[in-house]
Amino acid sequence: MQSLRFVRAVAFATYKEWAAYRSHMAVSIFIGPVYFLVQYFIWHAVYASQDILNGFTLSEMLTYYGVMSVITYLTFDFADWNLQMLIRTGKYVTFILRPVSHVGFALAQKVGHRTLGFWMEFIPVFLIYLFIFKIKLLPPQPFWAVLSIILGFLMTFFVNYSIGLTAFWLTNAEGVRRVFLLMRDITAGVFVPLSFFPDGLQNVLFYLPFQFMQYVPVRVYIGSYELAGITMSIPQVVGLQAIAVLCMWGVCQLLVHLGARKFTGVGV
Amino acid sequence: MKSLLACYRAVIKTKLAERMAYRTDFAISVLLMLLGDFMIPLVTLLVYRSGASFPGWTLQEALLIQAVFTLAKGVAFPFFFGIVSTTLYHVREGSFDVFLLKPRPILFLTMMNAFDLDDFGRLISGGVLFGLALSGVPAPSALHWIQFAVLFLCSLLVLFAFSLFLSGLLFKWVGSSRVYDMFDSMSMFGMYPGTIFSKVFQQLFTYVIPIAMIGFLPASALLGKGADGAWLSMGMSIVFCGAGLMFWHGMLRNYTSAGG
Repeated sequence: MQSLRFVRAVAFATYKEWAAYRSHMAVSIFIGPVYFLVQYFIWHAVYASQDILNGFTLSEMLTYYGVMSVITYLTFDFADWNLQMLIRTGKYVTFILRPVSHVGFALAQKVGHRTLGFWMEFIPVFLIYLFIFKIKLLPPQPFWAVLSIILGFLMTFFVNYSIGLTAFWLTNAEGVRRVFLLMRDITAGVFVPLSFFPDGLQNVLFYLPFQFMQYVPVRVYIGSYELAGITMSIPQVVGLQAIAVLCMWGVCQLLVHLGARKFTGVGV
Repeated sequence: MKSLLACYRAVIKTKLAERMAYRTDFAISVLLMLLGDFMIPLVTLLVYRSGASFPGWTLQEALLIQAVFTLAKGVAFPFFFGIVSTTLYHVREGSFDVFLLKPRPILFLTMMNAFDLDDFGRLISGGVLFGLALSGVPAPSALHWIQFAVLFLCSLLVLFAFSLFLSGLLFKWVGSSRVYDMFDSMSMFGMYPGTIFSKVFQQLFTYVIPIAMIGFLPASALLGKGADGAWLSMGMSIVFCGAGLMFWHGMLRNYTSAGG
């Protein structure tokens, strides 16, 4: 009960803090549809000579990018940047002195930030895609879609937080952070559906945690899952996603433990 | 002019020394630029590999457009596009006032301060991509090279104009890093063959906001494809750059400082 009060208080404070910069977030109403418009033209041109490409029809491909775009507004995270800044500047020391874990604090911050993002980014862009681009954005299995997005939200947080933890070992982890983020986005299917990659690479991607951040929520939202020739039912893949989130939480906790022993409070 | 060059040389030396304090991070950043710039070409490659294509464009031709785009950014980002991040940071911190006090043109000082070594990675990736794409198309004639050179200069003018518009915005829209997202989303139109877009968008991005000039038009000239309206778009690029300069100075006049 006390933890819930703590999460609510931190989330509310973060919400209020970011609401002061709401115009920064509201730009997504312009950026999201512009990105989508480019994809719209690209895929219309590509599909001019064929009906199916790597198992996707034109309509499914546009749905994939539309859903990917709106889900990103729900799972977006910058815990890695925040954490590495705290460690580099030594400000992390104030969290060691507090009677709450920084992981919980950062997660609560993300809840507050994304709550604001929900109505400032997700809802307007969702409506634009639905009514202007006529993209099928209503999931066939809403319960599993919502559950998968929640798990994707947690997975994104744990992966990003773990990336931020590299700052314990590297004085300036910005370069490493950006390499990780790039690899993460590629292997999460942000640029192109993972089924476009060569078969051998798809087999590797299947065993990495990154597909559970965005690719799996998008496929669950659409209502079918396939990667590296492996097809699963929606409950099966969401179950697998839940196990992956638990494993990533364990990895994150281990890194926090190891990193704390390395921390010297440089810059304080 | 001599004193301006001396200033620039001094800043480059200082920035180099500053960056070498974190050599590993610098090396990773440059490597990352290389990897990051290969992302869009990778998507194009995956699309073509799956048997699809942009109608009327071979893989090498499509890659050449993206290579020219990357090359233009490779020149723009280290030398002048950084004025966006400089304005963003100094206006937010209240330290932009320092530029106003120095005895050199303010735009020059902002550009000089924005010089970014890391962004040379983009120049390398642009060069590599350009070489790779060019090796797969018939050798351009001397005339095509001249046309390309002129249009490439215009692409730099367009990027300069964008940097001025985005930087100018930040005098009022304090601290919003979303201006980069705005640029990235809009400039995507310049990375693909203009012919895949509808007529309205083709005209919009050729004659009004000349984004097609950043990658598509210079690459078309090199390929001898002679895209419609390239010369009119060239004039528009100059107008666009002029508008950018006016906008930036206009916004600077409205700058009220944060009291830092």
